[in-house]
Amino acid sequence: MSHPQDLSLHEQAAAIARGDLDPTELISTTLLRIVERDGPINSTPVVFEKESMAMLHDAPRGALYGVPITVKDMFALPWRAARNGSERDLISATASGPFRRLRDAGAVVVGIANQHELGMGTTGAISAYGPMGNPWNPATCAGGSSGGSAAAVSARLVAGSLASDSAGSTRLPASYCGVVGLKLTYGSVPYDGYFGASTTFSAPGVIARDARDARLLAEALLDRPLASSSGAPLRVGVVRTPFWDDVDPEIAVACESALRDAEWNVVELQIEHLELVGAAVLGRLIAEASPPSADVMATLSRPTRAMLLASMLAPARVVPRADRVRAAVRAALADAFGGVDLIAWPCTPTAAPPLSNPWVSLPSGQSPADGPNMRQAAIANLCGIPGIAVPVGLHSLALPMGLQLLAAWGQESVLLDAAQHLEYATQRAYVDLIPPLAR
Amino acid sequence: MGDFENWANATFRQSHIAVDDDDLAFVQLIYVSTMTRLGVLDRLNLDDFPSRAIDLRRAPDLT
Repeated sequence: MSHPQDLSLHEQAAAIARGDLDPTELISTTLLRIVERDGPINSTPVVFEKESMAMLHDAPRGALYGVPITVKDMFALPWRAARNGSERDLISATASGPFRRLRDAGAVVVGIANQHELGMGTTGAISAYGPMGNPWNPATCAGGSSGGSAAAVSARLVAGSLASDSAGSTRLPASYCGVVGLKLTYGSVPYDGYFGASTTFSAPGVIARDARDARLLAEALLDRPLASSSGAPLRVGVVRTPFWDDVDPEIAVACESALRDAEWNVVELQIEHLELVGAAVLGRLIAEASPPSADVMATLSRPTRAMLLASMLAPARVVPRADRVRAAVRAALADAFGGVDLIAWPCTPTAAPPLSNPWVSLPSGQSPADGPNMRQAAIANLCGIPGIAVPVGLHSLALPMGLQLLAAWGQESVLLDAAQHLEYATQRAYVDLIPPLAR
Repeated sequence: MGDFENWANATFRQSHIAVDDDDLAFVQLIYVSTMTRLGVLDRLNLDDFPSRAIDLRRAPDLT
């Protein structure tokens, strides 16, 4: 038998339920694999040998019984404070809402997933634990802020990870690392013990190797079934400018090809006020950024500290104006979803950039990766809707490329159906790709 | 020290946050870029963007 972490999440759960896989052995071999394989990618800097066994001992026989997962550093655990990628304990140890949902489904937390410092970056290049490498090429970014979650799943350290998404933080690293990343609808999970409680942008997310595994994790988090649909062809809207035009052409071609393979009814879409989304996101995010205490500020990296300090200087007048735009864009999106089931565009506009210099080259010019990445992702956070990143092939740089799908509020099942259909239509050619680190 | 540095320093001192010259240079860069990008909000015609209640958990009422 191959290593049990080469099995999918649902295969692990099924094997345990049948009695074919001993969950104690699964956890032991998982912890060993993390120690042996994580060095180049630094996805899981803290592991819980004792606590994971105790969790298994008490685990209910739910859908995830005995299955090891990692949890982003943004969520407090009963035995460990949340540090949010910093050196300090920022939320005291407690059973956070998302943790409780996964615990109650029988999942076992084996480690902390590394993340970009305070969630304030899309590259994973800055963390108190050190930068996160991409399993496809550890010299490139795993993404952020949930880079540790995406890298660990991609490298087959674990089959699932709890992530979060405030401006693409689940979807963007999933795209860089070639895995599935699902951002949930805002407010659909209890937020206590989670940094998302301090912002109107953040929602928990799940990272898994395919849509079926993502559905299993999402059902546990949402505490409700996400039934598959009838399979009727979906209506998919595409918004060309800037989401398809200002990206690496190779990625646009791969995403177009995926839409064709899926044989969805694709229509061109116009959404009002899109040109204002960036300013509304920025205005709101800087207003919601809450600088930590002075002693914590002193421990942060200079870029993170500078962003927090700059947020303290922003004028309050932008907030009500950003909110007016937010309301208008939400209405425009709701109107758009009256005519389509999904909206689609490339997830990250480029493949993962180098960790040493995370800038990207686009038709519009060169820039740090964060701006273009957030442009592709943050409309979902501004409006509260769910979104998913799905792999659609390998770039000529031998790095993954991802397609992003967005759905209306509460329609996670439509996203998962679409992702599963795409896997079927492409004969799992992209979702089953294995990075060099995991071969 | 220029106006920006004086103003920024005073703001940070109120929060008991010590900054050095490198911090201030970085903050000024981010601040200027941010204000440029936010300028479009100052130019909004508010009649076209009415204030509406927002519940991010569900679709807005379009009626």
